[in-house]
Formats: sequence, structure tokens, C-alpha cells
Amino acid sequence: MSFRIFLSLFFLSNLYAAYKYETVLDDLDDAWSFVFLDENTILYTELPGNLKIANLIDKTITNISNPPLVHYASQGGLSEVVLDPKFESNRKIYLSYSAKDENNKSTLFLSSAELKDNSLINSKVIFKADAPRRTSVHIGAKIAFLPDGTLLLNSGDGFDHREKAQFLDNHFGKIIRINTDGSVPSNNPFTNIMGALPEIYSYGHRNMQGLLVTSEGDIYEHEHGPKGGDEINLIKSSLNYGWPAITYGIDYSGAVISPFVEKEGMEQPLLYWTPSIAPSDMILYQNNLYPELNGSFLVTALVSKDVKKVIFKDGKNYQESLFSDLNQRLRNIESSPAGVIYLLTDGPGGKLIKVLPKDQ
Amino acid sequence: MRIAKYPFAVLSAALFTVLLVTPISSISNIIWLSSVDMPISLLSALEVLLFDFQRLGIALFAVFTIAFSIAFTVAGLVSKFTNFGGRNLYAMAGAVAIGVALILMVELLFQTQLLGGNRSFIGKILHWVAGFFGGYFFYNLISSDRSYTFVIRFFGVFYAYFLLGLVINWIFTPASAAADFGFVLDELSDSAQNALLRDFTSFFVATFVFSIFGAITLNPAWFFSAGIVYYGAALFNLMAIYVHGTAYNQIYIGEIVLGTWPTLLALTIIYKNKSSN
Repeated sequence: MSFRIFLSLFFLSNLYAAYKYETVLDDLDDAWSFVFLDENTILYTELPGNLKIANLIDKTITNISNPPLVHYASQGGLSEVVLDPKFESNRKIYLSYSAKDENNKSTLFLSSAELKDNSLINSKVIFKADAPRRTSVHIGAKIAFLPDGTLLLNSGDGFDHREKAQFLDNHFGKIIRINTDGSVPSNNPFTNIMGALPEIYSYGHRNMQGLLVTSEGDIYEHEHGPKGGDEINLIKSSLNYGWPAITYGIDYSGAVISPFVEKEGMEQPLLYWTPSIAPSDMILYQNNLYPELNGSFLVTALVSKDVKKVIFKDGKNYQESLFSDLNQRLRNIESSPAGVIYLLTDGPGGKLIKVLPKDQ
Repeated sequence: MRIAKYPFAVLSAALFTVLLVTPISSISNIIWLSSVDMPISLLSALEVLLFDFQRLGIALFAVFTIAFSIAFTVAGLVSKFTNFGGRNLYAMAGAVAIGVALILMVELLFQTQLLGGNRSFIGKILHWVAGFFGGYFFYNLISSDRSYTFVIRFFGVFYAYFLLGLVINWIFTPASAAADFGFVLDELSDSAQNALLRDFTSFFVATFVFSIFGAITLNPAWFFSAGIVYYGAALFNLMAIYVHGTAYNQIYIGEIVLGTWPTLLALTIIYKNKSSN
């Protein structure tokens, strides 16, 4: 009996033990996203337009030359960086960013380039969103690859242009699907619809940040609501996710955006947060380094300053708040090749924080 | 009371302008929702209008009060030292105040347009026109002597305006209103849901109506009625905590404020009536 009590206490204490953290990098200049080149090396972006490589052991940082020219203002700048699925052989990376178009309006761009000798070569703009706006707000900019090798990109609603998220003649509030050379896959849902832009995969979104594709090919996305109504959605081709015709949030000004929260033909989120947590990134953690997190979605949050562990099961969701003792606005989360979780804090003077497994 | 006339005229003009401005955003939103086949009914339109008047209006009231304070002070100085003056001067000052305030709201808030109704050219013109009428209203208020009842009426109406948010929340979005008071509506039985909605809604509607009637009739009994209800809520809140052992709920502070506000209005009316007799 006493042995069983001991075992229970042991497992309980392990379950609720505090995580320990190690600041690996600091004084980052508005770092926005990062990706692992190997277990100890990351490639990361800073919104002002910097692309850098950092060695996490000796802390050396190397600037990558020839990054794209960006429009760094408000929420915009050099945003997401991802590696091509065949990066080891082709050294190709993809960068999303806000930049000025030919009419001096800010919009979302996606470029591909080869990373060679700490420089970008053969850079090519493969997508420019038809979503011009006065300033860089609600850009979106997350990138993910589908199993067929095509690429998804979040294109936010531009704030002032929210109503355009319901129309297919623009890229405001859309998820975009293109080939890696910028061409449009022939099986995109709206390629044969008169007036619709062929790159659109789904629509009716607001300011999307998290975007991931599971090994089964399921697409999960999350987006900032206004005041309340942050959402996680399961994305399917051609579907309308409702913004701003249906929403669980109200405007920052207090105004009603819509009195409706549902309508036939518009998708419901898997879950929504009111009040807002301001979700900024998301991974599906699949490793046993932190057994208690294996199989969970981990969502970083700017306002609630934590990571939400989310599990979807039998049509319900179960949530837990993690790493809130850091008390930091969290911008990004990645798992290293060995499964170690790293968190990126938001804003100037940002940090890269390594989360140590509980038994270390 | 002559000194108090000007600040309360500014506050009244700001509230009046809010009443004109918020429907611009509400109606433009309703028209757009209808255009994408959302099932807008009379009730849902009313919901949008009332919520916007209260929630959006509170924020705009603060902005407009500052803008009008500056604009009408300048207009007053112009009127005093030049030949320009009269209602058209104040109306123009009101229009310029709203126009400049809305431009600054965009430039200072991430260069984004928070006010939906101000995104179109027609919307912008309507906001300027609302400011014009706000200035005109201000001139009418200051152009004749005002007694203490002007201040009483302002505070009575503003009290009702404050309560309006709770009233419409309980009428249109009861689950959200209940959540604010710690209830998960869906988890209550049907009869408990009925009791909760019935009693809370009538509680806030009654005090809202009392204050409106008080402002119209200047009969102190209406204000006392509202005061008694909220003092009662505060008293029984404390009893619940200290006699029945419920959780501590500091909302009693708000209840005391909401009880004191109309009670002071009622006492002022009685005092003034006695003085004049």
C-alpha cells in the first residue's frame, strides 16, 4: 500500500514539476521565426529584414547576405522562414515578408532562394498577394508544406479590408496554395471559377499565424480574433471559415462585427478563445523527450504569455497552460530534430529559450 | 450654476454626437452583412445598433469630449475677439473637431481604421455632419441660462447610458452576460436558466428605466428607487460573504457606487427644491 502511495506521489510530482529553462540567445531584434538546420544551428528571421544563422553552442551569429528588401512597419517585415523538404540536396529556403508593391502599397510576398556560403542566391519572388494595404498589419505569412510538395501560405485580412475575406477576387484573409516555383496547382479549388484568384485554397480568415500540416495531411491553422474569438481551425480545400460574417469576437472599439456566430456554409472552429490569448505559432509535438506533451498541439500566445497545450479528442478539446512562469510574450515555438522545445520571445530584445525536459 | 453650464454642455454635446455617430458604423455593417446574405432581422439590427451605441459609444464619448473641449474653447475665443460667432461657428468647430479626431485616431493607432463607418467617403462625410450638429447642439445649450436641473438630467441620462450595456447584454447575449457573473448558462437546469435570465434582466432594466424617468420628471423618488436597489445589492452581497460564507466578491464596491450616484441626484433635487421654497 505504502509503495503504491509512493509511486502515486512520484508520478504526480513528476507531472506537476516545473519546467526549467535555459536562455540560449538574447538581444534578438524582433525575431519572428526560426528553423533548425541541425540540432545546434538555427536559421532565423528578424522583422527589420535580417536573416541570420545562430550556433546554439558557441552562440555565434552570422548574417546571411542578400535577404529580400522588406517593409518593416507595425506587424510587418521579414516574417517566416522554412526549409524546402529537399533542403539537404537543393539548399532551398522560402521566406515570407511584407514589402511595397509597384503602387507603394504594402503587401505579402513569398520568395524562394538558395542558401549558399552564408548568402542567398537565385532569389525569386514566387508569390505576391493581391492584398495591397496602407501599412503592414494582419499580414499572416506562415508557410507549410503539404505532403504532395505544394506550399501553403497564410495571407491575413489587412485589418481595414476585413470584408474582402469573404470574396474570392483578392488575397485578403485567404490560405494560398501554390507550387514551389510559384505556379498554381491544377487541382486548386477555385481555378475554374470566373473572377476567383486561382491560388486560393480556403477563405474567410482573419489574421492567421499558426499553420501546420500533420503527417496524415491534415491542415491546422489558428488565427487572431479581434477582442475575443481567437480560433483553431481544421482547414479543408474550398471552405469558407466565416470571417467577418460570423465571429465570436467584437471589435477593438467595442463595436459589433457580426451578431452571428454560425451560418450554414461557413465552418465552425475546432475551438475558440474568449478572451483572446493572441496565438502566434503552433506545432504538433511528436517526441518522447517530454512524454506528457507527446501528441499535443502547442500554441504560443502573446497576450496570455504562455503555451497552450491542446488535445482534440472525440469532438472535444482539452487545454493546459504551460511555461506561464516565463511571463513572456511568446512569438514562436519549434522542436529541434532531437525533440527539444525552443521558444522565441516577442519584440526587440527577444530571447531564444530552451525548455529542459523535467528529468534534467 | 452658470459656471457648470459649459463643461456639462460639452459633455452633453459629446453624448449627443455619439448618438448620431455610432449608427453610421452600425448601419454600414448591417448593410454589408445583408449583402453577403446574413439573415439580418429587425432584432439583430437593433442588437447591433444598441451594442454599438453603448460599447463603441463609451470610447467615442471620451474622444469627442476632448475634441469638443478644444474646439469649443477655440470657437469661444474666436467669438469673443472677432466678429465671427453664433451657432454656425460652433457647428463648424464641432465638424472640424470630429474630423480631426477621426484622422488622429487612424494616424495614432497603427494607421488602421478602427471605426467601420469611417472607411467609406460617405461615412466620413456623415461623421463630419454629426460633428456639425454636435456643435449646433452645444450652442443651443450655452445660449440660454441653465439651472441645476441641466446637470441632474445629464448625470441621470449618463447613468442610464452606463447601465444600458448591462441591459442589452442580458437581453441579447444572456450566456455572455451570465458568464460575467460567474454562471455557465448551459450547465444550469432549464428552470434555473429561466430564473436567472428573468431576474437579472428585470433588475437592470428596472434601474435603467428608473434613471431615465428620474431624468425626465426630476422626481427624486425614481432616483431613490435605483439607489435602493443597488445599495440593497451591496448590503446582501456583504451578507452573503460574511453571514452565509460565500466567496468574497468585490463587486459590492461597484454596487455602492451605482447606489450612491442616483441617491446623490435625488438628494440634490430635494435640497434645491427646499432652497427654492
